[in-house]
Amino acid sequence: MVVALGSFGILFACLLFMYAALRSQAVAWPPPGLPELPLFLPLVNTGVIAGSSAMFVLALDALEGGRRSRAVGFIASTFALGCVFVGLQLLLWSRLADAGITMRTGALGTVVYVLTALHALHVVGGILALAYWLAFGLRDVLASAIGGAVRGGSRGGLAAHSTMLRLCGMYWHFVGVVWVVMFVTMFLL
Amino acid sequence: MSSVMTKADVEAAQHLQHAHVEPKDFLRRYVFSIDHKYIAKQFLWAGLIFLLVGGILAMLIRWQWAFPMKPVPGVGKMLFPHTGGVITPPAYNSIFTMHGLIMIFFAITPIMIGCFGNFCIPLMIGARDMAFPRLNMYSFWVFLLSQMLVTASFFVELGAAAAGWTTYPPLSTNVGTPGLGQSLVVLALFVTGIASIMGAINYITTVIRFRAPGMTWMRMPATVWGLWLTSILNALFVPVLGSAGLMLLFDRHFGTQFFVTGAAGGIGDPILFQHLFWIFGHPEVYILILPIWGFVIDFMSFFARKPAYWYKGSVFAMIAVTVLSAVVYGHHMFVTGMSPLLGQAFMLLTLVISVPAEVLFLNWLHTMWKGSIRLTVPMLFALGTVFVFGLGGLTGIYLGTISTDLYLHDTMWVVGHFHLTMASAAFLGSFAALYFWFPKMFGRQMNQKLGNVHFWFSAIGVTAVFCGQLLAGYNGQQRRLYDPFQYTYIAHLRGLNQLTSYFAFALMLGQLAFIVNFFHAIFAGKKAEKNAWDVGTLEWTHCDSPPVYHNFDDIPTVLRGPHEYNHPEVLEKLGKDWIGQAERMPGETGEVIVAAAE
Ligand code: HEM
Ligand SMILES: [Cu+2]
Repeated sequence: MVVALGSFGILFACLLFMYAALRSQAVAWPPPGLPELPLFLPLVNTGVIAGSSAMFVLALDALEGGRRSRAVGFIASTFALGCVFVGLQLLLWSRLADAGITMRTGALGTVVYVLTALHALHVVGGILALAYWLAFGLRDVLASAIGGAVRGGSRGGLAAHSTMLRLCGMYWHFVGVVWVVMFVTMFLL
Repeated sequence: MSSVMTKADVEAAQHLQHAHVEPKDFLRRYVFSIDHKYIAKQFLWAGLIFLLVGGILAMLIRWQWAFPMKPVPGVGKMLFPHTGGVITPPAYNSIFTMHGLIMIFFAITPIMIGCFGNFCIPLMIGARDMAFPRLNMYSFWVFLLSQMLVTASFFVELGAAAAGWTTYPPLSTNVGTPGLGQSLVVLALFVTGIASIMGAINYITTVIRFRAPGMTWMRMPATVWGLWLTSILNALFVPVLGSAGLMLLFDRHFGTQFFVTGAAGGIGDPILFQHLFWIFGHPEVYILILPIWGFVIDFMSFFARKPAYWYKGSVFAMIAVTVLSAVVYGHHMFVTGMSPLLGQAFMLLTLVISVPAEVLFLNWLHTMWKGSIRLTVPMLFALGTVFVFGLGGLTGIYLGTISTDLYLHDTMWVVGHFHLTMASAAFLGSFAALYFWFPKMFGRQMNQKLGNVHFWFSAIGVTAVFCGQLLAGYNGQQRRLYDPFQYTYIAHLRGLNQLTSYFAFALMLGQLAFIVNFFHAIFAGKKAEKNAWDVGTLEWTHCDSPPVYHNFDDIPTVLRGPHEYNHPEVLEKLGKDWIGQAERMPGETGEVIVAAAE
């Protein structure tokens, strides 16, 4: 997983390098005639994704402490915040388009759209994984609530998959960190 | 010579890798197999088929340079019906582009890394399978998808990619190469990159986690070292190519302007593509040579019946190259107008990276020195590899030096250089490996005589063809010219080019010996012995030919390195000139035998 994340990381690093290179060659930034990029939405989104990472940390803590339903609750909030992030990102794109920045409007549009879209794609991947574990956890909790064993019981409960969950978490934090770097370089600076 | 293993270590190793049960149904066994040995064969077939395609394309290039504007005999009428068999300029561009890309990404890579990486790593480190067998299977199917994309690109309007294997913009943007084929091929590169990364993750993890007890890093066969370091480079640098390809695709289809500029009306920067391409591209050439170095280090020792000379030095040299390969890429861009200071830095680093290569070279010679050399087919191919690689390495010095590169850049000299180093070495080295492990893979022997014929045609062929290209380049012939002889200053090179082409045709003809040998051996070859070459690595000492599904009934406990030949004590006590990595000397202790529990 570390290796895989390293590879993803390099992909994004290259894209950011392109951004830096294009920006350093531009006469003015943002290019003349285009508005400043909005700051508010991305800022909120940074909070959202940081929060969701925190939720996942809590989920793993709870699981370690043997409090399974709490853990499932936290996974659910991670998942929900992830969805909010994608939603806000869609909103951001529509705002940008309204302001006249599209993929075809020169270097600015080029980098902003490609980077955020690629990132969003990775977030969606994470959300799918979270959804899977959420469903898994819910079934686990429900099954023990009604006293029966989990169907397909040989696979064990949520706790038996803590390694997979940890890896899932690593990925999720990674996606979060990438966003923070993108936020700082593209929207803040 | 002994090592201390605790019983707990051994049990831990056994536990980590329970034996999988061989599946019974047809699909899981022969199509969607998760067995690394079977996936290796799948990669082998996929690679060999594309090697043939790439070879045919090379023949078309050679035909064009020997007899421009003359119809291609035989297949010509079928391939270029509108011109009566004459290669047109656009077709020619496609041909040399696809030749390069197919050979590198869809022929040599699957054979060398896909096939031998899969086959050798688990068997040589004493593992029952890869760390992630299912990921391994996906890696192959993703790779196959990329091959299909390439195949499809030949059949779309305007033909396959035609912007050179380097795919430089602006030529590779919609302005230069409008067809869908170019996009399909760039997409195929992206997809094949995903397959490579999946494989790399698997190989890296497997080597770190699944070595048999006692298999320390310095006891690993050099083959495994080479494949492992290659995987690291793959994981680090293939994403760079991925990002460049992705941006190019966006430029081509979604109107972004990463690389579009000038008359095409954008503010992108095409030179940035070159940076990204070569940040990947230079490590890529080492991706293709590191496994070969590994094979050669091992084969020199196996067939000179001597310990590998300064084995640690060779390993450190490979590690040094892996690290340095990341910081020399600028030597491909000396003529892009980079700052002279930067150019000097890249020149220095480039010359520094040749030092480890020389260490390896001297170690090979030293290993052979006074050895009792057995000229088996794999050894012949390994010697050929050393020869062409040495020759190619020398020609590289002139390219790494700025003053001479300004003249030689973009001439046939470059083409000769990289074909000797990368193409010929990978070509001969892969065959060395194939002849060596064939008995283990298929349980049958290949014919030695046909192997010899194949070797001499191949070795003389590549040397003559690529030295011919060097000569042409030295005389100023630019690369990629449709009809070189329309320029008066090189018109006199026609004879040289024709001669070179005849050697190329002979080289192709010689491959028939391999094809016949290969199929004959698979279906009717003599049964191979368990240890076909009297060597001490685990796949030969502890596995049948071919190995059982889970490779090892008991995971062996390794006691020594892979290159113990003609050791006086072994000669005296065991009466043979080799000893297995996990074989006990009489009276040697420190070994714990644990039966496979599952
Ligand atoms: C087996 C016999 C081979 C022959 C006769 C041959 C011949 C050629 C020729 C004539 C060219 C065109 C040079 C130009 O760009 O003007 C070429 C290019 C190239 N070949 Fe080969 N080749 C062979 C094997 C290989 C192998 C095994 C590889 C890969 C490992 C390879 C990789 C390349 C590459 C990368 C290019 C550059 C394409 C480009 O610049 O667009 N070749 N080859
Ligand atoms: Cu290079």
